[in-house]
This record gives sequence, C-alpha cells and structure tokens, in this order.
Amino acid sequence: MINPTLRAFIKKELRQTLRDVRMRVLLFGAPVIQMTVFGLALSTEIKNIKLAVFARPDDAVAERLTERFYASGWFKPVLFSPTDDPYELIDSGRADAVLIAPRDGLGRAAVRGDGRMQLLIDASNATKGRIVEAYAKNIVAAFIAREYGPAPPRPFSFDVRVLYNPAMESSLFLVPGVMSMVICLITIILTAMSLTREREMGTFETIVSAPLSDSEILLGKTLPFILMGLVVAALVMTAAWLIFGVPVRGPLWEFGAASFFFVVTTVSVGTSISSIARTQQQSMLGGFMFLFPAILMSGIMYPVENMPPAVIAVAYLDPLMYFMRLLRNIMLKGGDLHVFLVNMAALALMAAAAAGLAYNRFRQTLN
Amino acid sequence: MNPSCALEVNGLSIKFGDFTAVDDVSFCVRKGEIFGFLGANGAGKTTTIRMLCGLLVPTSGTATVGGLGFGDGGKGIKRIVGYMSQKFTLYNDLTVGENLDFAAGLRKLDPAYAKKRRKELFALTGFDRPLSTMVRALPGGIKQELALSAAMLHDPEIIFLDEPTSGVAPAARARFWDLIRKVTALGKTVIVTTHYMDEAEQCGRIALMRTGRLIALGSPEELKASAFPGPMAELDFNGPPPEGFISGLRKARGLLELSPHGMRWHAAFSGGTEMDSALAGLPAGASRALIKPSLEDVFIRLVEGKER
Repeated sequence: MINPTLRAFIKKELRQTLRDVRMRVLLFGAPVIQMTVFGLALSTEIKNIKLAVFARPDDAVAERLTERFYASGWFKPVLFSPTDDPYELIDSGRADAVLIAPRDGLGRAAVRGDGRMQLLIDASNATKGRIVEAYAKNIVAAFIAREYGPAPPRPFSFDVRVLYNPAMESSLFLVPGVMSMVICLITIILTAMSLTREREMGTFETIVSAPLSDSEILLGKTLPFILMGLVVAALVMTAAWLIFGVPVRGPLWEFGAASFFFVVTTVSVGTSISSIARTQQQSMLGGFMFLFPAILMSGIMYPVENMPPAVIAVAYLDPLMYFMRLLRNIMLKGGDLHVFLVNMAALALMAAAAAGLAYNRFRQTLN
Repeated sequence: MNPSCALEVNGLSIKFGDFTAVDDVSFCVRKGEIFGFLGANGAGKTTTIRMLCGLLVPTSGTATVGGLGFGDGGKGIKRIVGYMSQKFTLYNDLTVGENLDFAAGLRKLDPAYAKKRRKELFALTGFDRPLSTMVRALPGGIKQELALSAAMLHDPEIIFLDEPTSGVAPAARARFWDLIRKVTALGKTVIVTTHYMDEAEQCGRIALMRTGRLIALGSPEELKASAFPGPMAELDFNGPPPEGFISGLRKARGLLELSPHGMRWHAAFSGGTEMDSALAGLPAGASRALIKPSLEDVFIRLVEGKER
C-alpha cells in the first residue's frame, strides 16, 4: 500500500489542478488543439495542388503525363495562357507548381535520352513543397514505368526548383516533435508553478511543519505531476494517432518507458526552477527560459547535425532531443531496439541527474 | 527540566550566517498557559516559534519542547506540536473536507481517527458549514478557526499560533480569542504572537522581544509594574501644548517616559514627589489625571524607548 502522505498529496494536487477549468483546458485541451492544428495542416494541403503544365500542343507524351497528374486527385488544372511567365504564375499564387516540358516536346526528348523537365514548386509553405515534390516524382516514376516498361532507360528526369524555402520539413516528422514539446511545457510549468505557489501563499510552511522526511515532501510534490504528465503523454499520442493517423509502429511499452523517464526529467527541472524562483511569474519565465533553447536544440525544427559543434555539444544535454528521437523512432520507424536503447540510456541518465539536482536544490530550500 | 514547563529554552541563539536572529533567549512556558510573544516585525518572534516547532535547529543553547530535544533534527517535536503559520495554512481552492483530509494525510492519521477529531474540533469551534464548502468562500475569521482545527487535528498538547488574527475583523478576533481560551481550558498550551495590544492583555504571560533579544517577560500586570514603578499622569492641554512646555518637561528629574497619545500626553515618573514637582508648572487650562499604564505604554517604554 502506498504511503498515506503520498496518497494525500496526489489527491490534493489532482483536485487543485483539475478543479480549475482553465487548468483542465491547458492540461488536456491545449495539447489536442495544438496537435489538431498540425494535423489539419498536414491533411488538407495534400489535395488541390494547382498545377500548370507548359508543353507544345502536339506533345502527346506530355499530354498523357499531364493527364496522369490530374487523374491522381492531388493536382488540379490552372487556367493560364501559354504566353504567361511560369515564375509569375507561382509568384501570384495562381499555381502551386509549374511543370515545363522541353521545348521540342517530351516524347522526342525521351527518345534522345535527355528529357529534362523543369518543375517549379512554391515552397513558401515547406510542408506543401515537400509533398508536391514527392507526389510529382511518384507520378512521373509510375508514368515512366507504364510508358517504357519496368526497367526504364531514364528517358526523362526532373530539374526541380524549389522556390522560397529550400530547406523543407514535413509535418509528419513534426508531430512527434510537437508532442514532446507539449509534454515538456506542461510538466515543467505545472510543477514549478505549483511549488512556488505553495511558497508564495505560505501553505508550504504547513507542509514542512509536518513530521515528514525531505524525500516524502519532494515525492509528494512531484509524483502527482509525473502522473499527470504521463496521462497527457498518452492523451497526446492517442490524439496524434486517432485524428491525424500518425502511425505508432513500435511497441507501447517503449513509449511508456520513454515518457516516464522524460517526464521525470522535466518534473525535476521544474522542481529545480522553483527552488530559484520566488514568485509564480518567475517560475513561469524560468520554465520558458529552459524550454525555448531546449526546443530549438532538440532537432524538432532544425536538424541537430546542421548546428555548429559547440551547439551540438549543448544539444546532447537536451532531454527533449532524446525524447523526440525516441518518439520518432517508436512512432514512425517501429521502435528499432538499438536506437531505443541508446537514446533511452541517455534519457535515463538525464532523469537521474535532474532528479539528483532537484533533490539537492529542494533540500536547500527546506533548510 | 522543570516539570511544570510545557517547553523550556535556555541560552537559545539562532544565527543565519552572520545575522543573529535570536540572541541568548531563556524562558519557560507553563502547561496550560496562553503565552504571548510581543515585538516589532523582525524582532525574532517568528524565528523563535519556527524553532520551537522543530523547523529550525538552534545554533546554540538548549530547548526542550514537550520533553523532546533536537537530536532528531526536530522531527519528534513536529509530531507533538501544532503550528499555524503567519500566512495561509489552508488551500483556498480546496473544500473544507479536502483541506482537512490533506492535513490528516500529512500526519498519516488514521481516517477514522481524523473523522472523529474533525467532529470534536467542529464542535469546539462551532463550525457548522458543509464539508463541501470551498475555503475561499469562508469569511476570514471562520477561515482562521478552520486553520486552527487543521493544526489541531492530530491533538497536539502544544499549539503555536503566529499572528493568527492579522487581517481578521475585530468581532471575529474576539471570537478567535474565546476559542484560544477554550483550547487552554482543555489543558493545552498555546503560544501566540500578536501585534495587537488588546490581545496581548489577554495572555497569561508575555515575552517582549526586540532585535532578537528577550527584553521583558511576565504577566501584563507584572510588566506594567516593572516598567512603571511610579505613577503615570495623562495630560490634557485642551489643544496643542504651550510652546516649550513639553521640551522643559522632558528635562524634568524623575521623568521615565513622555509620549503623545492622540491629543493627550502620557507622562510617567519614578515617584509621586517627582511627579508633583515636574507638573507644578502645568499651564492654566490644562488638566492632569492619574492613569494606569497600558501595555502599549509598556511596549513604547521598553521596545521603542531603547531605540531612541
């Protein structure tokens, strides 16, 4: 049976946190809303890509290829005149992509073996750009297979020009990142604010005046948030899977273990922040001061490999990076055991270090 | 240790780095007594109380609370005393029942025992609202009575109240002091700090503290008698005192204390003859009356007087 004091703490924190409507929204509503926004951006833009094809009227191969594009359901035709400037079509937003066939016709160029087509893509929205490019390549590959047999002599290829945003990211890739960000945000801020609120209000004095050991108080004030963090993690993952079809290819126990160590780390960080902060505002600011660099260096938005060596060294201290890698590995790649173990070991180490720091800082504030 | 003492302190000092918060303090609180701490902010009252609750370990000196020392870092003391700190001790965003459940959980009380105690304390304090009432909806005085119930849930023999009535309406303050007397009638010892003189008058004995030192200790009557061995006169000039009279009076032989109280002045002397000669030149139209010194006069003389 669990220690009655810990049970009292868990009941109290859950009641305090869950009674407040704003808190409930922040805890359970906000993560799902954030995920929804990402998910919708992912699914709606796949269809209705406005494609303009510039080809000679007598280019039968180009015409058949164009039909394949429109028949795919992803692309739709754009009204334009052959004298329009392709760049201007994209600039003005009338087209999302422009396919330009060789001047003397695709069929003839294919026979010659250098059927280079130009594909202009509007990638001011990176997600869209990446998807358009992938679709176009797939359609052309299928078309080549049909027209020229299974082992094509590469009769034509793309000269892809990605406009406005050459570094592209996909939303599918982003969802696990957003998940880890949301869990991190909630656990750190919730823990730090709850502890500083007790200090600010003076109720902490009552807790320390009870005959409890330091670790009982620390566990009492952190365990409830670890539990809530795990619930949020499960909720956010279910939302990602149910609403947007982000796959969960790896075993659930890997997800549970990764979430546990990550939440222990973030709750410990929140506890450490609360040992420095004097007011709830300071805790919240402290939480964000940790959060922003942690997010930027985690590889959620920019690949860690592209960072300067000094920053990479710091990124290796970022628990968010390991958790995000674990999530991507588990959700998208099926949870390869080697990747899992390496990142898990690092995350467990971080959790132990953070919990140790939190315990030390917390004890100092007690005495 | 004196067996009639609920707690006893000898040569107690508490230092935070170079700062001495409590400096060589000795006293005994008798069982069943209402013992008051009086002093300005920063005089060391709260530090002394926190130490006696087992929250701070003394730097030097000895202290025993309910027969227990600090060998275990204060944990044993925490178990046997009740403490209601200066600030909120209840959670505004929890109900009455949830607050008491948490207080019981903190002390690992058996649920059945906690329920029995809750009923006893509700009868004592006259609390009759539903357990599902949110604490934030309670008036200030009731909140403090409930806080006292939470601090007494484990049935401690010694109860510490740090400014329990600050920010509470006067009628509710009187009610709270009735409650304190009821608690001591049960044989409990109550140690209380306050800023209010009228509350200090209700204590059995008062410890007066200034900058970490205990400067006087005794019942209200004893303190008055030792601070003012001679008579005290209240002077009424029916308006502002004449030019130069007050400054002349300050130099009079045998004057112990002279301080304004609203439109009037209180003047204390070492004896009757000194008073008569000093007040011989009292201007026409002014009147004097012999009064009994109040605790406020004592406080001014002993605490503020030394700072001049």
